[in-house]
Amino acid sequence: MIITWQIGIRLAGIVLLAVVLQVSFFSYLSVLGATPDMLPVVIVILGLLGGAVTGAVAGFATGLIVDSVLLQTLGVSSLVLLSVGYVAGRYRERFEIDSLLAPALLAGGLTLLATAGFTTLQLMLGVEAAVSLLVVREVVVKALLAFLLTFPLYPLLRLVLRPALVLEEPPTRRRIFRNRRGGERLGRRHVRRAGRPRSTEGVV
Amino acid sequence: MYRKQVRRRRGILVALIVTSLVLLSAHFSEAESGPLHAIQRGVATVLSPLESVASEALKPGRDFVNWFDETFDARGENAELREQLAAAREELTEQQAAIGENEQFRRLLALDEDILAETSYEPVTGRVIARNPSVVNATIGVNVGSRDGVERDDPVISDDGLVGRVLDVTATSAQVQLITDPRNAVSARVLPEGPQGIVEPVAGNPDELRLDFISNDEEVEAGQILVTAGWSNEEISSAYPYGIQIGEITEVTDGDEELQKITVRAFADMRELQYLQVLTGGPVRPGVDR
Repeated sequence: MIITWQIGIRLAGIVLLAVVLQVSFFSYLSVLGATPDMLPVVIVILGLLGGAVTGAVAGFATGLIVDSVLLQTLGVSSLVLLSVGYVAGRYRERFEIDSLLAPALLAGGLTLLATAGFTTLQLMLGVEAAVSLLVVREVVVKALLAFLLTFPLYPLLRLVLRPALVLEEPPTRRRIFRNRRGGERLGRRHVRRAGRPRSTEGVV
Repeated sequence: MYRKQVRRRRGILVALIVTSLVLLSAHFSEAESGPLHAIQRGVATVLSPLESVASEALKPGRDFVNWFDETFDARGENAELREQLAAAREELTEQQAAIGENEQFRRLLALDEDILAETSYEPVTGRVIARNPSVVNATIGVNVGSRDGVERDDPVISDDGLVGRVLDVTATSAQVQLITDPRNAVSARVLPEGPQGIVEPVAGNPDELRLDFISNDEEVEAGQILVTAGWSNEEISSAYPYGIQIGEITEVTDGDEELQKITVRAFADMRELQYLQVLTGGPVRPGVDR
């Protein structure tokens, strides 16, 4: 991802909007007994689109904002979300993403780890009450909801950040085909010129 | 070139992790009046109008989504039934309270002026504007703050009963720690003349509370109602005044170490909170920070 100041503003806007939407909308919802958490999903997607550094920085900033808004111990959410962003970014740097399933699975898995990590950190910070087994159910359902949330969010965020994406192809109606010989990319017009015989002479 | 990039990436990661840990450690050990808390409150103050607008604007959407979930769970309850239930519960509380009238009068006579002054609480109505998505932390944000007279540790109630207490406050908003938050504990009395114990949450289960420190000798049964004990002495005291409804005992079993295991269901539905009342003012209670 090429980070210009315009892209920086877009990233900041995404992070801020995600926090506001989370605390004002998603946190009120109850789906199968759990509250959807879109923040790990957004950070995973930013990591996948922008790489490890972008993911980690976005996760750190998101964590700081959400901890401030909810007046909870600073640093806990940052630590968890920056890890999520970094891991997602590293995945993108190593593997090709050729379908929506990979981001969705990654978001589900990392949300599960993030929720478990956040819960563990909070419990370590002095919770002395009994812990219900329902915590496990909620963590798993949150991961499932994160998996589902990725399907609308990934294309949306990719669209918003499209100008910054290095490997993103320009919007065109022309279909791109792969040349049989060298793997070179050619447009439909090129394929027509090169591939179609001009006459039927010699064709068996 | 590649190695330089890797070094830079790792450097940033380490710097962010160290910063997070330093922040966590400093914030956790810092006093409420410390600089980190002040910055945090500043950010919360700046963003609270945005949360308030977003919360109001997105309410139809939330209601729509929750409608499906409630229908799925067969939890749909109409407003009339809820009102009837609340009225019946209030009546029951009054009846049970009346049974223990003599005992309460005796206690009232012994109350000092501070306790009598508990009627000086001034309720401030607020709307819920934010919720914590955490599995463990049960806190909500409300759109009233210090400029409305809200202070830390002020009790918070809904029309169903006790909700929690103010955990932190900015000029325009406050964070309320619900009674289902694992860091919270409320001294409670079993009506009509039952014993006093401590109501504690079960982390991760917002529908269940536990009443602790009730010995096996005490007679307690399902259906009895709990109210805040308003317990106080010269050094420490409960943050809550006496008599706020908390919930109903749903199950009593013999537990370990001569103490009963008592399960309680809170009257206030913590997932459905919209409007709350913060009880501001009131007497100075020994040991309560405000």
